[in-house]
Amino acid sequence: MSTSAAEIAAWRARMPRAFGPSPAGQALRAGAAALFLAWLGLSLWHFDVTPQRLWNGLSGLLVILRLMIPPSPGELWMDILKGLAESLSMAFLGTFIAALLAVPLGFLGARNIVTNTLARFSVRRVFDGFRGVDQLIWALAFVRAVGLGPLAGVLAIATADIAVLAKLYAEAIENAEKRQAEGIAAAGGSPTLVIRFGLLPQVLPIMIGHALYFLESNTRSATILGVVGAGGIGLQIAERIRVRHWDEVAFIIILLIIMVAAIDWLSSRLRRKLIG
Amino acid sequence: MLRLQGVSRRFGAVHAVQDVSLEIPAGQMLGVIGRSGAGKSTLLRMINRLAEPSDGRITFENTDITALKGQGLRDWRTGCAMIFQQFNLVQRLDVLTNVLIGRLNHRRGLLAHLGSLFAQFSAEERAAALATLDRFGLLSTALQRADTLSGGQQQRVAICRALMQNPRLILADEPIASLDPQNARLVMDTLRQVNRQDGITVLVNLHHLDVARAYCDRLVAMQAGRVVFDGTPAELTPARVEQIYGVSEAEFHGDMPEAAEAPLFPVPAAALA
Repeated sequence: MSTSAAEIAAWRARMPRAFGPSPAGQALRAGAAALFLAWLGLSLWHFDVTPQRLWNGLSGLLVILRLMIPPSPGELWMDILKGLAESLSMAFLGTFIAALLAVPLGFLGARNIVTNTLARFSVRRVFDGFRGVDQLIWALAFVRAVGLGPLAGVLAIATADIAVLAKLYAEAIENAEKRQAEGIAAAGGSPTLVIRFGLLPQVLPIMIGHALYFLESNTRSATILGVVGAGGIGLQIAERIRVRHWDEVAFIIILLIIMVAAIDWLSSRLRRKLIG
Repeated sequence: MLRLQGVSRRFGAVHAVQDVSLEIPAGQMLGVIGRSGAGKSTLLRMINRLAEPSDGRITFENTDITALKGQGLRDWRTGCAMIFQQFNLVQRLDVLTNVLIGRLNHRRGLLAHLGSLFAQFSAEERAAALATLDRFGLLSTALQRADTLSGGQQQRVAICRALMQNPRLILADEPIASLDPQNARLVMDTLRQVNRQDGITVLVNLHHLDVARAYCDRLVAMQAGRVVFDGTPAELTPARVEQIYGVSEAEFHGDMPEAAEAPLFPVPAAALA
């Protein structure tokens, strides 16, 4: 396959875009690349990220790692187990409340259910507002409101997730097939029954799948809520870090990994059963 | 000369291809016919080594194809380009890049490989791809995404990709089975043109006998994994088809000749009276 230089030039003249982007496109790409690099460089410079500091941090980390070996349950191991159980219950209860409340809210936010644009728009913006606030902020607020303990954690998990789940549910409902719902309406079903038999069977497995994903992720995040006093294993970790009992921290971390892995395994099996 | 000697392929207890021996001289256009499940696809895929033969040997000009691996196998695959029923283009890439994929194994060395990873093709390769597209009237689609093309256009883009591989052989597995009659003719004409003008040997799987007779120099008929006929199109008369498959040619194509004789809903004579 040999093509002469003249032929190449002829093709280039005939179809320049086949040989690369236009000058304007090239300039745009170069500009975007420069902007990206400038942002990257500025951030690194602003936070004073130097190889020296990274190296020192690494050696600090190694000291901690050495203190962690061998992991030890310490004397208060009953407290550790109680904390783990509490974290797990917080995650379960919080996710359950969020998943339940998100169902009606999801229907309210779906275009094919609420046809009034203004109503749907306001519902969606309220979701966005709730989503903009992180779980930890909610936890701090609820600790002030209902006092220290797991209730604050449960409420924090629920409030932070309702809006996200409602948005995901709304999208699942919007992507549902219209023809199946039409079949119920054509058989004389009321609007409520159209939703019950035409939409719910389509979206319920998706909704439960999302909720299980959130349970997984909340099992992880519930461990941190205790640090701000919202109950669970986080408090135990924070206390032990304060007194530098790193071997006990390591023990808790190992238990956490086992627990999270178990929940992940269980929920992925459930999800496959429900969706597959 | 491509030579198959006693080639078989078993899937568990099922013999997909059984003891097939063929000699295919260079430049021939060979049609492999048979109903679905006769082993045509498996036979073609074994030549390309997308499927491994369980038994037998495939040789091409004294090279043992069945023993190839690594770079040698990749070179062989480049040399016998494959055309698929579903085109197997990368839908989200533009037509030009799809055609340039045919050049990937022609670029040697680490640096060229790195360039390939970043989809960097030389001006020469791009010009050659454009010329190939232009040859089959596809130049205007060069910068479109592959999924915006019709089935017939996509199949001809696939043929362009095959030609960019600079092959000795083209293996076409049911190339027109998902196309309407007009596009089917266009694709078959293209294969024929490639065979005649470029001197590339073409092996094509077909399940429509009329198409096979019209385009091929030689026909091989398969049934239950075995070759049951090997001869010229003229020799494969309707009578011979009936003798081989035990059904008439119309039935072979899945039509129902008895439907023409007897109405689907017989009306009782009493109702007519």
